[in-house]
Amino acid sequence: MELLLQTLVNGLVLGAGYAVVAVGLTLIFGIVGIANFAHGAYFALGAYACHLLTGQGVNYFLALPLSVLLVAAVGLVTELAVVRRSLYADAHHSSLIVMFALGQAVVAALILIFGPDPHPVPSPLGQTTFTLFGIFVTAQRAFIFVCSAVVLAGFGLWLAYTVKGQQLVAVAQNPRGALYSGINVPMIRTLSFVLGVGAAGLAGALLSPIVTAYPTMGHGALIVGFTVVILGGMGSIPGAMFGALLMGIANALFETFVSVSWTPALGWILVILTLLFWPQGLLGRAQLHRH
Amino acid sequence: MELSPTPLSALSAGRADRSRAARDARSARLTKILLAAAVAAIAGFGLVVSDAFILTLAGYTCAFGLFALSINVMLGGIGEVPLGQCLFFGVGSYGAAIGMLKLGLPFEAAALLGMAVAVVAAAAIGVVTLRLTGAYFSIVSWGLTGVAMVAAINLEGLTGGPLGMFGFPPITIGPLQLGTPQTYFYVTAAMLLLAVLFLVAVRRSPFGAAMESVRQNRHLAQSVGVDVTRVRLKAFMLSAPLAALGGALCVPYAQIVTPEVFNVGNTVDGLLMVLLGGSQIIAGPVIGAAIFTLIPHFLELDPNVRILLFSSVIILIMMFAPGGLHQLGLALRDRLRRSNDADQSR
Repeated sequence: MELLLQTLVNGLVLGAGYAVVAVGLTLIFGIVGIANFAHGAYFALGAYACHLLTGQGVNYFLALPLSVLLVAAVGLVTELAVVRRSLYADAHHSSLIVMFALGQAVVAALILIFGPDPHPVPSPLGQTTFTLFGIFVTAQRAFIFVCSAVVLAGFGLWLAYTVKGQQLVAVAQNPRGALYSGINVPMIRTLSFVLGVGAAGLAGALLSPIVTAYPTMGHGALIVGFTVVILGGMGSIPGAMFGALLMGIANALFETFVSVSWTPALGWILVILTLLFWPQGLLGRAQLHRH
Repeated sequence: MELSPTPLSALSAGRADRSRAARDARSARLTKILLAAAVAAIAGFGLVVSDAFILTLAGYTCAFGLFALSINVMLGGIGEVPLGQCLFFGVGSYGAAIGMLKLGLPFEAAALLGMAVAVVAAAAIGVVTLRLTGAYFSIVSWGLTGVAMVAAINLEGLTGGPLGMFGFPPITIGPLQLGTPQTYFYVTAAMLLLAVLFLVAVRRSPFGAAMESVRQNRHLAQSVGVDVTRVRLKAFMLSAPLAALGGALCVPYAQIVTPEVFNVGNTVDGLLMVLLGGSQIIAGPVIGAAIFTLIPHFLELDPNVRILLFSSVIILIMMFAPGGLHQLGLALRDRLRRSNDADQSR
């Protein structure tokens, strides 16, 4: 019972981290209309930005928002220079290949600049752990959970109660209708890309004290992000959150009670089962045809 | 009013037939010339170059070119980005290795075994994943290579686990020693040439036309009676053994098969070759493969510089010449011609 409870809590914390990655991914898919294969690269950039800033003596809690801003700035530049142009090329698979190549290029650049070895990111929370009802939680993991929950809740409120947020929802529902009602659709797309990429950066910066910063760290995050997003239904924000928690808990349970070495395969098996039985994802909207 | 076929339309139909026959004859002649040139180039390269390293590298390039062709059956054929194609590449490599080491088969039988497994796997995977298109297909097929890698690491009894399989007996095809650089090059180049000829024949067949219609507009193809699901599955099952053959032929070069063959990086390399050479030319991936392996070799590039460089090139190609580099040449020619015309009219 103790073990089960501990596993569930671990899964919940894991899922909160996944949720931030996945919400960014699903936002970009739903509004910009591309599968962001470079998402993992921005995740890694977030971790490296945090590594650089803390290396300069900046406090981790200050470095965290600064890293997000840095990653968002990089996202803005790539959106304007690359994404926007490749999106409207006539071959429909071009954006996919471009984003993939972009991700590869960023990872290669990280290796060339920082070397292939992992870099530690110090956090003032350090190795502190505390016990709650007999369950161990490290302070950093608790911080990740709280931070993700606050950011996601804030994002949800922003979507629901601000003009910009509602414009974003409108573009997601019907880009042409949104355009006809006077919404600046290209601007909303850029904003969504920057927000989504910023979320990836935030997740990277949050997780970096636990996993350290290394160039290919985004690979796993990208795979988890895609599995979660497909599980929840591509483009659906509640779906991404639900999928992330489900995946986190499923991973933790599988790891504890079945097999550690087979865990990486679990996500894909869940995804294939989902696509077979609920092709639009668990909380996705049914679509006439897909991108 | 009576509707009857007018003599005029009958005449024009006859003319169309005749012009088509003429075009077919011309393209058949062109094919023969290109084929002769390719055979001469292969034979010449094998005779002139005596550097064992270059020959082996060229042989490996041909083997990897087979993999690029396989990717292009999906990308240029039906317009999907097969991020998981290295699954079949790995199945070919592991098929050859397991066949030789565990089953005691000769190399050619082991390679055929790998290809057969790849076809069966493609049928099983395709039935499920080809219902998806675009990003969904790419993501799921990529994910399956992740599953394959986990399986290859964990099934130690079959695959040798994370260390992989090595220590092969001398690899031969009949009397041909693949350990000899020259023989290795000739064998892989011949296979590559056969594969290109086969794909040319496929492209000219009714199935090739069906594939092209699916690539251009799946919904329209469906509405005029093309069985889209079936065509996509057949293309997938056609691409799989090509990749497996490429994977098997890489074994004599690498001399080791590790779970890393399932790394998506392999697919990306193949994809780069296709995009460099142009996805709408059958031999395009082969040209791309040559560019892709030879340039880094002569510039002595660090692998990461290579990735950075080629990824940037891909982004630029996709932004400015999504059909391949030759498209830039065509655009340049058009522009020159136009400026010439402008000069003359002045």
